[in-house]
Amino acid sequence: MMTSWTTHLPVFVVILPLFVGFILPTLARRLRLVENLVIAVEVISFVMAAALAVLLFKQNGSPIPYAMGGWPAPWGIRIIADNLGVLFLLVIAIVGLPIALYTKGNLREEVGGRSRTARFYALYLLLMGALAGMAVTNDLFNVFVLVEVATLSACGLVSAHRNPRAAEAAFNYLILATLGSGLVMGSIGFLYITTGHLNMEFAARELAQVWQHSPHVVWMAASFMLTGFGVKAAMFPLHVWLPDAHSMAPTPGSAVLSGLAVKGYLICLLKILYNVFGQTLMRHFTMHHVLTAAGIAAILAGSILALRQDELKRRLAYSTVAQVGYIILGFGFVNQRGLAGSLFYLASHALIKSTLFLTAGAIISATGKTKVSELAGVGRKMPLTMGAFTVASLGLVGIPLFSGFVGKWHLLLGSFESGNFAAAAVILAGSVFCAAYLFPILRNAYFQETPGENWQDPGMAQRAAFVLLSAAIIFFGILPTPLLTLAQRAAADLLFLQ
Amino acid sequence: MTTFLEKLLINYPYVISVILFFIGTLIILTQSNLFKKLLGINVMETATFLMFIAAGNIRGGAVPILSDTNAPYINPLPSALMLTGIVVSISVTAFALALILRLYREYGTVDANEIARLRNGGMEK
Repeated sequence: MMTSWTTHLPVFVVILPLFVGFILPTLARRLRLVENLVIAVEVISFVMAAALAVLLFKQNGSPIPYAMGGWPAPWGIRIIADNLGVLFLLVIAIVGLPIALYTKGNLREEVGGRSRTARFYALYLLLMGALAGMAVTNDLFNVFVLVEVATLSACGLVSAHRNPRAAEAAFNYLILATLGSGLVMGSIGFLYITTGHLNMEFAARELAQVWQHSPHVVWMAASFMLTGFGVKAAMFPLHVWLPDAHSMAPTPGSAVLSGLAVKGYLICLLKILYNVFGQTLMRHFTMHHVLTAAGIAAILAGSILALRQDELKRRLAYSTVAQVGYIILGFGFVNQRGLAGSLFYLASHALIKSTLFLTAGAIISATGKTKVSELAGVGRKMPLTMGAFTVASLGLVGIPLFSGFVGKWHLLLGSFESGNFAAAAVILAGSVFCAAYLFPILRNAYFQETPGENWQDPGMAQRAAFVLLSAAIIFFGILPTPLLTLAQRAAADLLFLQ
Repeated sequence: MTTFLEKLLINYPYVISVILFFIGTLIILTQSNLFKKLLGINVMETATFLMFIAAGNIRGGAVPILSDTNAPYINPLPSALMLTGIVVSISVTAFALALILRLYREYGTVDANEIARLRNGGMEK
C-alpha cells in the first residue's frame, strides 16, 4: 500500500532542485541562507532517493512508474524509477551532499562575490535536477531536453571561475557539447520518423518490428546516438574538451562535472542503447564491439596522458577519461556481470573522483601550488585532506576493501564471460597505470621533507565532506551488497532477463 | 538507380536537412572565429528542426484543429517539440555570446587561434 506522498516521489526528486535553483539568485544578498538551502535540498534529495530505494527493494525490484499529469503512457509522459534510475539517484544524492558541504563559505576565492556565488549555486542545482531527470526519464525527447539543461549548466559551472581561461574552456566545451546534442537530436528524429513514438518502451516495441524496412536509417540513428553521447561523455577520441573544462572549473564544479555530469550522459546512452535499440540490434550493428574498442582505447590512452601531466587537476581530469573507458567497456560486454560491474564502477567512480577533485582543490587553495612535483610533505600538514585523497586513490586503483575493487572485479568477470581476454588484460593494466599516476603524489606527500609553511586542513564543513565521501568509499568496499544488488537488477532489466 | 534518385527528390526536405547539418558541423570544426563557430551551431540546429518539421508534415494537409471534415491533417507533435528545440538553441546562443564577450574583453580578439597564442605567450612571461 503506497501512501500518497511516496506516489509522487519520482517527480519530486527532479523538480525540487530545479525549483529551488531558480529562486536562489534572488536571495544573493543572504548568502548564508542560500548555502543552507542548497544543503537542505541535497539532504531532502538523499532522503527521497533512499525512500525510493527502500520502496524498490520492498517490491523486489519491479519499477515504480509515474504518469505525468495522470495521462497514460503513449500520449502522456511516463517517468519510471526503475533499478537503474534509483541507483543513479542514490549516486547523485550521496555525491551531491558532500559537494554542497564543501562549497559552504568556500567559493569566494574561485568564483567571486555574492551574486556570482548565488548564480553558481543556481547552476549547481539545475545540473542536479537535470541529472535526477536523466535517472528517471523514459522519454526520448525528455532525454534531449535534460541533456541540454545539464550541458548548459555544466558549461556555466566551468565559466563561473574567475580565470579567463575558464571562459575559453567553457566555450570549447559548449561548442562540442552542442555538436553532441545536435547529433542526439538528429538521432531522436530518425527514431521518431521510423517508430512514431517518443516513449522508450513503445519506440522499442515498434523498432523491433519495423527496423528491417529501413535498416540504414536505424543504423544512422544508432551511430548518431553513440557519437553524440560519446562527445558529451568524453569517450576517448572525443574527449578533447574534457581536460580543459574539468581542470579549469572551480573545485566543486570540477567534482560535480567529473563525478556526476559525465555519468548522467552515460546513463542516458545506456538506456537508449539497451531499452530502445535492444541487444539484438546492438549485436546486429556490432555496436558492442565499438563500445569495447572505445573503452580499451580510452583506458590506455587516458592513463598514459594522465601520467604525463604535472598539474594535479589536469592529471585527475585525464584520469576521468580513462575511468569512463571502464564504464563503456562494461556496456560493450552485453552480459549481466559486465553491466552490473560497469554500473557499480560508475557509482564508485562518482564517489572517488569527486573526493579526489575536492581534496585536490583544498590542497591547491591551502598551498597555492598546482603542480604534483611541488606538493612535498602535504600529508603531514593536512592529514585529513590527504587521508581522504589516499582513500580515494586506493579506491581508484582497486585495492580490495575499497569500492573500486568490487566494480573492477565484476567487470573482469564480465569480460571472461564474454570471452574477451584482451579487455581483461586492459582492466588490470589500467589499475597498474592508475597506481603509477596516483601513488607518486602520495609518496611525495608523506615521505618527503615537510616544508615549514603553515598549511592547514580546511574548515569544518569541508572536513565533514571529506569524511562523508571517504566513509562512503570504504562502506561500499566492505558492504557492497545493497548497491550491487541494485546494479545487478538494473543489468537484468536492461538485458530483459527475468 | 532512378528509383533511388526519385526517392531523394521526393524526400528533398530530408536531403536538404542532412546537407545543412553537415555544413554546420564543417563550420564548427574548421573555423577558428568564435562567431562563425556559433553560426555553425545555429545552422546545424536549424537542420534538425527542418528534419523534425518535415517528418510531421503531410503535403496538402490541413491545420490540426478538430473539425467535421475528414481532410488529412499534419502531425502537430514535431512542431511542438521544435518549439522546445528553438528555445534551447536560443539559450545556447545567448550563453555562447556572453562567453565570447568575456573572451573579447579579456584578449581583445574573437579568433580561437589568436586567443591560444596570447594565452601561451602570457604563460611564458
